[in-house]
Amino acid sequence: MDMNHGIGQPLGQEGRQPWLLETSGLTKKLGGKAVVRDVELRIGEGDIYGFLGPNGAGKTTTIRMLLGLAKPTRGRVTVFGKDLAKNRLDILRQVGSLVEYPSYYGHLTGRENLEVVRRLLDAPQERIAEALGIVRLEKDANRLVKGYSLGMKQRLGIAAALLGHPRLLVLDEPTNGLDPAGIQEIRELIKSLPQQRGVTILLSSHLLSEVEQMATRVGIITSGSLVYQDRIEQLKRRTAGRIRLAVSEPEAAWKRLLEQGWEARRDERGLTVPGGDDRDIAAIVAELVRERHAVYRVEEERSSLESVFLEMTGTGGSL
Amino acid sequence: MRRLLSAEWLKLRRSIVWLLLPVSPLIAFAVAWKAPLEAIGGAGWMEAYIISANVHGLMFLPLLVGIFAALLCRFEHASGGWKQLLALPVRPGAVYLSKLAALAGLVALLQLLLGAALLAGGLLRGMDGGVPWAELGRALLGGWVACLPLAALQLWASFAWSSFAAPLVLGTVFTLPNMLVVNSERFAPWYPWAQPLLAMMPRSEEGFGAFNVPAESLFLVIGGSFALFLAAGWLHFRRRAV
Repeated sequence: MDMNHGIGQPLGQEGRQPWLLETSGLTKKLGGKAVVRDVELRIGEGDIYGFLGPNGAGKTTTIRMLLGLAKPTRGRVTVFGKDLAKNRLDILRQVGSLVEYPSYYGHLTGRENLEVVRRLLDAPQERIAEALGIVRLEKDANRLVKGYSLGMKQRLGIAAALLGHPRLLVLDEPTNGLDPAGIQEIRELIKSLPQQRGVTILLSSHLLSEVEQMATRVGIITSGSLVYQDRIEQLKRRTAGRIRLAVSEPEAAWKRLLEQGWEARRDERGLTVPGGDDRDIAAIVAELVRERHAVYRVEEERSSLESVFLEMTGTGGSL
Repeated sequence: MRRLLSAEWLKLRRSIVWLLLPVSPLIAFAVAWKAPLEAIGGAGWMEAYIISANVHGLMFLPLLVGIFAALLCRFEHASGGWKQLLALPVRPGAVYLSKLAALAGLVALLQLLLGAALLAGGLLRGMDGGVPWAELGRALLGGWVACLPLAALQLWASFAWSSFAAPLVLGTVFTLPNMLVVNSERFAPWYPWAQPLLAMMPRSEEGFGAFNVPAESLFLVIGGSFALFLAAGWLHFRRRAV
């Protein structure tokens, strides 16, 4: 009997969600150096999973292992409840992918490119028109792909990935090298897919701002290790801010607040206090007014998601 | 495999192989039609065949095998085709074998075109009757079989080197000395670029150099080297792919 549990069945262990994709101890060593180390990805059905990390952190290597394009040195990949090492073809039949840069045959038209993939998948003919429609390439379908812009090639790659009606779509840096309009277009497309097609998406990027707008879950990888993985709301909660007070005499006001036992901080732009409790803020403002400080502004200051990300990945500034 | 081959066909349909295929057949056609032959009809058929097969087997056939192999791999090297193929539900081994099958198919087509062009040229000249079907067929088929080790070798080189030029240079550099190599009875049967010509020449008393090598030993070498090159290329592909 098959001991694997199908999706939708409980896994036996209490409270554990049956993940659509799961890796355990996934490790890849290249030349003795671990470029991916003990990665434990958990992707649920219907997620748009943002796989984030600086360039060279191991994103593409991980993704290649998820598709069976690279063999893990150690660890396991389970997709749709099946072991990838043993059920590669079965799994790949339900996975669409776009890895690193779009693959295409420049001497063929867009439609012919999709026909090549369609034949390999043995998918019905009408899928081509459908996929072209989704990525809005109908008008250029009969042109040679070597004349396509990068954005069009990218869309063609997504169309090819959608051709087999996949349950899981793996997109590695899908907006790399696109202009802002192209990025916007791909982003809208990706966001619309889970509802329209019931597909789960794994999306890698080195730009948090990009993933933030699409993802429901995020995993952050740096130097080959997964340092964070949770729902995007959890990540956003980490950015809970402080309250900035603009007052007439910040130095005196700061000292007064410290004397009163408030955890105030002084910086070159004024002072800040923790933004947790509304009543605390009210008391602090009342205290300052009582001391005859003019309070110009009380505003919330959130540390950006970007700075949380930078802190986690330890990459100063450039990613 | 069927799916892979039908996809290969799509990629080939719009490529320059169709400009390269007619070269040797056109030569065969011209020879059979206009070349001064000792006999018109009868023995003239084989005479015309031998003239065209010499040019074809010595130069064009080994060169074209190299060019076709490089073209078949270039589709994939150029923009991430291998990666896309291998992320689709197909066996990596089958991907490699489908390339070899497509290459062998192109060579078979080339041999058929050569035969057909020869017949057309002869008929146009008014050579009738006495077409040595068996002899001609055996020679063309032999040429095809003798291309298989070379095809496996060139395919391996074309896959291993992502540059388009490198395998072509290999093919050209080793095809050029053919003229000298075929004189060596000892060396030529082992030389993949000379094997097609040797196999395409009818065995005869007045043969020189390697043309005296019995067909049996020639095809033994061909079979062995085909197995060797195929296995090496296949293993290399499997290792590189996953």
